[in-house]
Amino acid sequence: MTFRNVRLILGREIRDQLRDRRTLFMIAVLPILLYPLLGVSLLQVSQFMQEQATRVLVVGAGGLAARPPLFENGQFSLRLCGDPGAARLLELHFATQEPTSPGAATTDPRAEADAKVAAGRYEAALYFPPDFARRLESFRAAVRRQAHVDAGPALRLEVPSPEIIHSTANEKSELAFARLTGLLQRWSEQIGEDNLAQSGVPKLAARPFMVGSADVADVSHRGASLWARILPVLLLLWALTGAFYPAIDLCAGEKERGTLETLLCSPAERTEIVVGKLLAIMLFSIITVLLNLLSMGITGWMVMAQMPGLGLPPPAAIAALAVALVPMSALFSTLCLALAAFARSTKEGQYYLMLLLCVALPLVVLPMSPSVDLNLGNSLIPVTGVVLLLRSVLEGNYWQAFQFSPVVIMVTVIACVLSIRWAVEQFNRETVLFRASERLDVGLWLRRLWSQRRPTPTVAAAACCGTLILMVHFFVSISGSPIGGMDDFIRTVLTSQLAVIAAPALLLTLLLSRSLRQTLLLKRPPWLAVPAAALLAIALHPASNVLQSLVRQLYPISDSVRPALERMQEMFCQADFATLVLVIAILPALCEELAFRGFILSGFRHLGHKWRAIIFSALFFGLTHGVLQQSLLACLLGTILGFLAVQSGSILPGIVFHVVHNALALASTRITPEMVPDVPALRTLVTPLDGGGCLFAWPVALAGGLAATLLLVWFARLRAPLSAEEELAAAIRHGQRQAATLVPQEAACGFAGDR
Amino acid sequence: MIHVRDLTKSYRDLRRGQFVALGGISFDARPGTVYGLLGPNGAGKTTALRILSTVLQPTSGTVTVNGYDVVTQAAQVRRHIGFMSANTAVYDRMTGWEMVEYFGRLYGIPRPALRDRMAAMFNRLKMNDCRDVLGAKMSTGMKQKVSVARAVIHDPPVLIFDEATAGLDVLVARALLNTVAELRDQGKCIVFSTHIMREAEKLCDRVAIVHRGQILAEGTLEELRERHHQRDLEELFFQLISQHEAACGFAAVL
Repeated sequence: MTFRNVRLILGREIRDQLRDRRTLFMIAVLPILLYPLLGVSLLQVSQFMQEQATRVLVVGAGGLAARPPLFENGQFSLRLCGDPGAARLLELHFATQEPTSPGAATTDPRAEADAKVAAGRYEAALYFPPDFARRLESFRAAVRRQAHVDAGPALRLEVPSPEIIHSTANEKSELAFARLTGLLQRWSEQIGEDNLAQSGVPKLAARPFMVGSADVADVSHRGASLWARILPVLLLLWALTGAFYPAIDLCAGEKERGTLETLLCSPAERTEIVVGKLLAIMLFSIITVLLNLLSMGITGWMVMAQMPGLGLPPPAAIAALAVALVPMSALFSTLCLALAAFARSTKEGQYYLMLLLCVALPLVVLPMSPSVDLNLGNSLIPVTGVVLLLRSVLEGNYWQAFQFSPVVIMVTVIACVLSIRWAVEQFNRETVLFRASERLDVGLWLRRLWSQRRPTPTVAAAACCGTLILMVHFFVSISGSPIGGMDDFIRTVLTSQLAVIAAPALLLTLLLSRSLRQTLLLKRPPWLAVPAAALLAIALHPASNVLQSLVRQLYPISDSVRPALERMQEMFCQADFATLVLVIAILPALCEELAFRGFILSGFRHLGHKWRAIIFSALFFGLTHGVLQQSLLACLLGTILGFLAVQSGSILPGIVFHVVHNALALASTRITPEMVPDVPALRTLVTPLDGGGCLFAWPVALAGGLAATLLLVWFARLRAPLSAEEELAAAIRHGQRQAATLVPQEAACGFAGDR
Repeated sequence: MIHVRDLTKSYRDLRRGQFVALGGISFDARPGTVYGLLGPNGAGKTTALRILSTVLQPTSGTVTVNGYDVVTQAAQVRRHIGFMSANTAVYDRMTGWEMVEYFGRLYGIPRPALRDRMAAMFNRLKMNDCRDVLGAKMSTGMKQKVSVARAVIHDPPVLIFDEATAGLDVLVARALLNTVAELRDQGKCIVFSTHIMREAEKLCDRVAIVHRGQILAEGTLEELRERHHQRDLEELFFQLISQHEAACGFAAVL
């Protein structure tokens, strides 16, 4: 890759986008206009709501006591409203008909008020039940009497509640409701105070103290928690939006306009094209975010300055935002670029935006929950880690942010590199670049699927098999009842292994491939590979044990899962070891190897790189293990198992490794901390743990790891059979290396002399 | 200069199943000649030329261009060819000058030399009227000239024209054919695909008649006429294709 070509492509793309009015509008004009417009609208709406008069029907207000007054001169009393303006906002209409006692023959005024509010003739109605005024007065008189008679009868009188009739479907009605509630509350308090005064009790008796508060937050961090939640989310959403439109225009748009082929047959390499376009998209994504934040900042400063307690975010937080912006824009830009390269047209590209948003939004929104905090586990999640890190900085938790920033940076860099590779991959695939749309015909498609089977399944078939296993596994696990005893456990394992894992793989092998032997790697391996695989499992066992313990420290098992695991552990200790080995070691080894190192791995071998196939099959293998702590370890083991299958060309070493690995894991559950002091060999090898179980000593794990590395090197030196795609990719790499050493024979080209 | 051996290209297609676009074609093109690929629409000409330009990869067979393999040394091949087809459009938001300059710079031509070469080329191809016009506002003729300039700016030894005259009026097409002839006279190896007999007669030193991914006949025009006892190229073309259709059991399409 030469930087000169990248610079040239970048320059062209920037110029191209700057000449495109739609992109300019989305990136520059919209943010500048959006927030001031939103701010002005907000202000206007809030002013409108404040000044909007609401009509209120008052029913049954006749005979209310004059002290303290609720109404004065056809309006609410000024003592209650505070100022004449507020009183005028409630336009009162007094019902002529008074509420009647139940059973009276005339129209029910309450039902009439309901109907009038529902019909929108009044925003709300204030309904005083029949006898309200009289019973309120009786109550007050009783209170007065009781105050003067020391041992009087307890107050048994009840006052019926006035009701506010309103409609939650109408915003103005809700406004009237809020105003009326406040007024009636104040009126009730005043009556209470009057009662106390008449009884000779000081007002303070009802409210002996007020609650005070003290804000210890630094002035610059006031309101930080709000900013800490809003800003990272806005940043990521705008980074995504800012990347997507240029990406669609520069990839799908170029395909549509026919200029992509012009560029593809130029000497620019695919990587140079991808990086040049990516940098342009990133630049526009960053500019979009900056303009949005700037415009929002200015608008917020002007509009929200009146809101108490909401200061501007501290400068350090703004700097952190700016720093986080680059990797986030890079990640989203690359994802957008790869998706846009896949799209046939700009219209199709826009559909993919929804897909990307659906994946990105949960990652962005998850950290908004107060219970999600920045820790090692969360920092390993792409995007979420960055949002949490930003939140920590914005909240002023600099030490916490500093602690986890290396992990977040590492994860983000890995995610960026992987997505760049994916984007380059898209540009290298002619099926993506020259994809033509076809009419869907399911019948024909199924017939073709059968008649065009190849010896081993396709990549799509492998991905479908993996997804099918995951889906069935999920539904079986949520519909299953808790495991009661050993019989239950055996039944569950049998169902999950045979019906959920082995059966789909075998069925798909028969349906979608021509050769059972090649697909499931039913071949004889090099004879030393089988004992080597068994030794590898033994050598890796201590390291795997230590790693498992580390994973559990990093992601502690949740309280909801722990009792079930402990019950199972107890059950294993009591069960027959031979049965356990059969159910937990041999059966899964056979079924899982057939599915993951058989069908799925064989399909992914058509990707053109053995490591890609190994990693994808390992990911599916890990995901079927349900519990996160198990899945992480299973991914690693799946990688080793895939490597063994690829290098030996057979499924057998993997099965042997799997059986030995699982059997050793079972055996180690039998070692209790109490046994350690009595057995000298155990004292050297393991350390008892406080919470039960044992942990291999570090030197043992390291020695095992070293032995395992040597065995893996031996496997790496085996002559691995390659798929046709892998051979082609290897030939291309070889040719590129050769071409690089030949250095241009430009003598044939006319411009050689110009250099 | 160009050596194509047993070149095949097949796609998976839902309707047609495993569709063979090229069924093992072989030909050679030499410097200072125009090699014509003559065939109806869908014959496989564009697929073959896209493989030559490294945009597509062959299913099997070998192709070397100026000594470089199109699969394993694709970058070197692209440096030594100029490719122009109906699918290689001009950028809407770039002027003629900017577009040619952009590709010239991608080919690594130093800026001063590029400027001189572009000035001479714009004069020779009478392109000064589209120098500062954006691609979106250019006429078809202007776009075609810019495409030619873009394909030859680095003075490549091999030039590939895929139905380059499609959609052009007589004047522009004639000017383009003259340019191709000039390039041939300069010693370039040119592959020119077309379905217009007149162009093949006027320009090509050797032609291959391609149909359904097969070369039905190959040689100089004179050789073909003598071999098939037909002086008129259009009749010859029709005759060969009809015979092939009949031999393959296809319903007559012509």
